Amino acid sequence: MMWTLVLLVIAPILAGLGTLLIHDRRVVVALQYGQAVILLAAGAHVVMEVGTGEPATVGLLLYTDALSAWLDLVLAVVGTTGTLFALGYLDEQFDRGLISLRRFRQFFYLFDLFLAAMLIAVNVGDVALMWIAIEGSTLVAALLIAFERNKAALEAGWKFMILGSVGIALALFGTIILYYTSEHVLGVTSDALRWSELYRIAGSLDPTAIKVAFVFVLIGYGTKAGVAPMHSWLPDAHTEAPTPVSAMLSANMLTVAVYAILRFKAVVDRTVGAAFTGNLMIGLGLLSVAIAAVLLLVQRDYKRLFAYSSIEHIGIALIGFGIGGPGVFAGAWHLLNHALAKSTAFYGAGWVLLRHEHKMLDRVTGLVRQMPLAGSAIVIAGVALAGMPPFGLFASEVLITIGAYSARPVVAYLFLSLLTLAFATLLYHVFRMALGEPTEAGRAVGARTRVLLSAAIVINVAALSAIGLQVPSDLASLLEAITRLFGPQMVLP
Amino acid sequence: MVRPDIGSQMVDLCAALLLVTCFAIVAQRRLSACVDVFALQSAFLAATAALVAFLTGIHHIYVAAALTVAIKVIVIPRILKKVIERLNVTRELVMNVNIPAGLLICGALVILAFFITQPIIPLGFLLTRDSLSIALAIVMIGFFTMIARKKAVTQVIGFLVMENGLFLAATVAAYGMPLIVELGIFFDVLVAVLIIGIYTHRIQDAFDSVDTSKLTVLKD
Repeated sequence: MMWTLVLLVIAPILAGLGTLLIHDRRVVVALQYGQAVILLAAGAHVVMEVGTGEPATVGLLLYTDALSAWLDLVLAVVGTTGTLFALGYLDEQFDRGLISLRRFRQFFYLFDLFLAAMLIAVNVGDVALMWIAIEGSTLVAALLIAFERNKAALEAGWKFMILGSVGIALALFGTIILYYTSEHVLGVTSDALRWSELYRIAGSLDPTAIKVAFVFVLIGYGTKAGVAPMHSWLPDAHTEAPTPVSAMLSANMLTVAVYAILRFKAVVDRTVGAAFTGNLMIGLGLLSVAIAAVLLLVQRDYKRLFAYSSIEHIGIALIGFGIGGPGVFAGAWHLLNHALAKSTAFYGAGWVLLRHEHKMLDRVTGLVRQMPLAGSAIVIAGVALAGMPPFGLFASEVLITIGAYSARPVVAYLFLSLLTLAFATLLYHVFRMALGEPTEAGRAVGARTRVLLSAAIVINVAALSAIGLQVPSDLASLLEAITRLFGPQMVLP
Repeated sequence: MVRPDIGSQMVDLCAALLLVTCFAIVAQRRLSACVDVFALQSAFLAATAALVAFLTGIHHIYVAAALTVAIKVIVIPRILKKVIERLNVTRELVMNVNIPAGLLICGALVILAFFITQPIIPLGFLLTRDSLSIALAIVMIGFFTMIARKKAVTQVIGFLVMENGLFLAATVAAYGMPLIVELGIFFDVLVAVLIIGIYTHRIQDAFDSVDTSKLTVLKD
């Protein structure tokens, strides 16, 4: 029994319920600080424990293996900095009289429940409970995206609600078919839905049914992960959502959706070999990178720019997992580094948005001179996201290219040329924003907000640089365990 | 005890009735009638589930059937009727796909569903396995309804039809999900409808319409 695991899952639920019930602003703020600290501490403990030993279980409900712990790491770090950033962001909006106390509390209980739903999704050992938690996170996210209630936000929220619901429904159909086949082996029992059981019996599952199930799951959860061609909700949602939510969507929600696909992949690969899932994932991944790379160039909105970059990076991670072997390692590494870099980018963008009160890319210049910390956050995140050393995304992209080259040179050539295009377009926009003379004065944020936003950015950048050059030994053992989950002798497709 | 072949045919009959109501929803312009047909469909769904529970003796499916009656036959249609009343829209005049073409497409979707599920049908339980194809057909028709219609309310009904198809799939293919899972799914569906209710209200306020084809502020 691991208490830190329980704490990790329960903390945001309690913070959310507390915010729902208590009307005092100071208490609400204190609850969020508490949540931030607990997430970081409990998350670190869970990651270390699981990294060195066996999967942790609590009762029949919670089951945390290496892959879950990896997601806990992402959710805990970005959840902590996201909470700090949200406090600063909402404080400023509150002080400027843009939102009432009721709306302030409403934001935080939705925000906390959103985090809670995602933490539950990655820490349950049951494919159907995971579905329920992911559906729950979709519903909360739909309310958060439309939080600002203007026309554009409503449109983005509605689009997300409809596409997200359809996606999640298709994923449920895939889940039901998986249950249908595993029941055929195990009989009518709820064990037929547990990951550990599914991995054990995967060899005797029906290959055709499991392929049908995977296609539904890939399309379903792929919609939620913003994989092309089901990505059309993503740029709108990331642009119109309040910026702390944009960061959470991109860094956490997309990653959790990829996690769900990976869970199924691990079962399907044991049944029909890695080539089937690998080919599908490489295909969709390449399409996502291609669409994002082209559309990055024409963006006129800086939040939208980072949104398209998310489509690109989720596509890259899918290609990595699709290649298998070292690609699995690279894919997992990519997800973590992308989450850190992308949330940093959105924190910088959110600060810019607070100052300038518009999202127009070409009216923002000279950020480094005008707002040193926000400007450097955007530059550092931009450099990392473009895949330059000394950041982890460089390492994972190189590994994926090598893996692709030894398996299928065509994939590697396509991948590299698309990456180059994305690299150039993203850095062009980022440096144009960061350098030069500031053209607009804007409106500086309050002192407390400045401290909170800086804290969020500094923690993220510190984590990003600390793991950039080499994989810390704790994380290395975790990554090894993840690679083992997808088979030690995984055949390249 | 009922003879297995008769039981199996009764389940198929119920599933077929569900499919027929799908076509009725696609052919219906009046929003409140759509909601009524959806309630009827949910009643057939509950009947199917109860029948499966009776024939197999698995008791937790009765709970799921009872929840279907409570939530999908009574509560959700009421919420939707209230939304329709408040929004003051009664008919869907312009659609992305007109009704005859829509019905033809749905016919094609049914054939496609049977085609997809053919190879995996022999795995299932003898009693209910033929209905899996119908369940997939219902899911796809629900999906199609969401694309073909423009009013937010009918898109919601499309989503709910998809949910009904999924529930049918779970019941006939796997004798229902474990109870905790069923409860979770019902909770999620109910919350989804409430959230959609809030959304339609806000969309109406902001755009003076619940026609989702007017949501065109965001472009690349």
